[in-house]
Amino acid sequence: MTRDVPRSGESRTRAAVRCAAPWLVGLAAGALALGPGLGRGYLLRYDMVFVPDPPLGPVQLGAGDGFPRAVPSDAVAALLSRLLPADIVQTLLLLAVFAVGAAGAARLVPAGSGRAQAPRLAAALFYVWNPFLAERLLLGQWAVLLGYAGLPWVLAAAVRLGRRRGPARFITALLPAAVGGFSSALLSALVALPAAAAARPRTVPLAAAGIALVSLPWLVPALGSGASTDPAAVDLFAARADTPFGAAGSLLSLGGIWNARAVPELYGHPALAALRPALSLAALAGWVRLLRGGRLGAAGTGLTAAAAAGLGLALLGTTEPGRELLRWLIGAWPGFGPLRDGQLYVAPLALLQAVGLGGAAEWLHGPEGEGRAGPVAAALLVLAPVVLLPGLLWGAGGKLVPVRYPAEWGEVRRIVDGDPDPGSVLVLPWSAYRGLDWAGGGRTVVVLDPAAKLFERRTVWNDDLRVAEDGEVRTVRGEDPAAREAARLAAEGRADAESLGALGVRYVLVEREALPDTAATTGDPLHENKFLSDSDPLEQVHEGPRLALYRIPDLHVEAVKEELSGLEVTGWSATVGSIICSLAASGSNLVPVRPPRPAGNRSRKETPT
Amino acid sequence: MIKVLAACVIGAALAGGLALVGTTVATNASSSAEPVNESLYNYGDR
Repeated sequence: MTRDVPRSGESRTRAAVRCAAPWLVGLAAGALALGPGLGRGYLLRYDMVFVPDPPLGPVQLGAGDGFPRAVPSDAVAALLSRLLPADIVQTLLLLAVFAVGAAGAARLVPAGSGRAQAPRLAAALFYVWNPFLAERLLLGQWAVLLGYAGLPWVLAAAVRLGRRRGPARFITALLPAAVGGFSSALLSALVALPAAAAARPRTVPLAAAGIALVSLPWLVPALGSGASTDPAAVDLFAARADTPFGAAGSLLSLGGIWNARAVPELYGHPALAALRPALSLAALAGWVRLLRGGRLGAAGTGLTAAAAAGLGLALLGTTEPGRELLRWLIGAWPGFGPLRDGQLYVAPLALLQAVGLGGAAEWLHGPEGEGRAGPVAAALLVLAPVVLLPGLLWGAGGKLVPVRYPAEWGEVRRIVDGDPDPGSVLVLPWSAYRGLDWAGGGRTVVVLDPAAKLFERRTVWNDDLRVAEDGEVRTVRGEDPAAREAARLAAEGRADAESLGALGVRYVLVEREALPDTAATTGDPLHENKFLSDSDPLEQVHEGPRLALYRIPDLHVEAVKEELSGLEVTGWSATVGSIICSLAASGSNLVPVRPPRPAGNRSRKETPT
Repeated sequence: MIKVLAACVIGAALAGGLALVGTTVATNASSSAEPVNESLYNYGDR
């Protein structure tokens, strides 16, 4: 593991370039991947929903009884949007994934004897340009990717926990995971705990406590929520084969996500599909070489254990006995729900392969003056991840395009947020994902209904997840108790104004553009999915070509203002306070400090732990 | 010698990959990202 310090005889300028290179490579990779997304507008894709001027209230901080799946990521995005327009915030967050991840991976490559940049850059580029990142990006899981970007930093900090200022630096390294939320925290735990155990076993409780501390904003409401996890999700969200090499082969080359729509363009091309596992094998060989050389220390042992455990978790869902075990675990305690998405846990393997590719590039490069073939081969190896995964280029082949919200969405929000009376917003049609035509050019943007994040107050939407498998659509029961109750009322034909009002609903938003043809032609969108009826006493407060908004009369609405509980406020205070204190005490942060001063002949290369 | 061979192999693989990408992108330049056939979508397809 190296730190960005000058090497013997290295000029200050050269040292600065060397320090900045992985960050710049990460930024360049991010720019190439986002492409048109760097322009103004919102990148909407499956779970990735950003809205103009995002609200920041108790609901966004975790109040309510649904599972806090977007806590605190949405709150942080909303906070940053107080400083910059939300679409720019989104772009910066996505670019941060690439830059922070690349710089962290480069930092883990042990310093070689020469000044070659190729090993570090190979690790940097591979870590932010691989099937795992591409598929998670195409699924819109930007918050997960924040945690992914922080993994190398977490690993480095975990093996140093026992040192002076170690705990503060560990908390600082967990900052991306803290923002990312529950999946990011799980990935961090998967990496940090084995690393801490490999370095100093007595620091494991400290590592666990640190992760718990930064997780409080989502952990407290999650433990108090009435959310449940449908064990049926195990079958649908298990890793699958997206290459000709089966599920195991796909996972080893960092693919295998459950959703065929999240696979990059050209991914299945036979030539590229054959070469990607070869690249992964070269990376694994490079990792073994580094390990055998004893140059990775506890970080090597810890990451090996984390990658093996993560791959094991991912493989669990690919066999029937493994799925049976997962179903049983989730049935016994919903807290095991995150295990259903097995491919998520190959993230540590991605880091291992990135550093390993750095080791392979170092071997190829060889000592200075040994000839030109080695450096040329190493330089080509640096570029291999991009060439072998072209589907991520330029907005992931056109799947990430910036769109602007129709003005009507802002009008509806002003009406709802301007109402001081409490009560939630029920969103129709009763379905979670929309195909929006806002990008123009006949393109459809498939995304979680933006209305779910538009309002400061709570929204009730159908969070059942429909997944098509072999031509048959299967449904995973959602997690929000209020949505389940609304669905039950509709199924029984009792979803009228009185019943919905009793459920705490004050507004009903109908997205006309998303209505199926049959409902649109009848001209009566309220009948969609048996919600409400002509006789219901509703006040129409907005009528437009895309949206219609109805208000349920006060006498039917039984709602209270959503507020954070004392425990939730305490959780937030503890997390924010600990991060601020850690940033102050650690003496470092996630961004590079000023270029280091040359150290003359004195080498300050850090000894691996 | 082995590094010369490695450079040739990696270079050939990358050149082939680039050629493939170039031709495929040129062929598919007019295709849209998602089929436009519905307004309510599934979370995905396995």
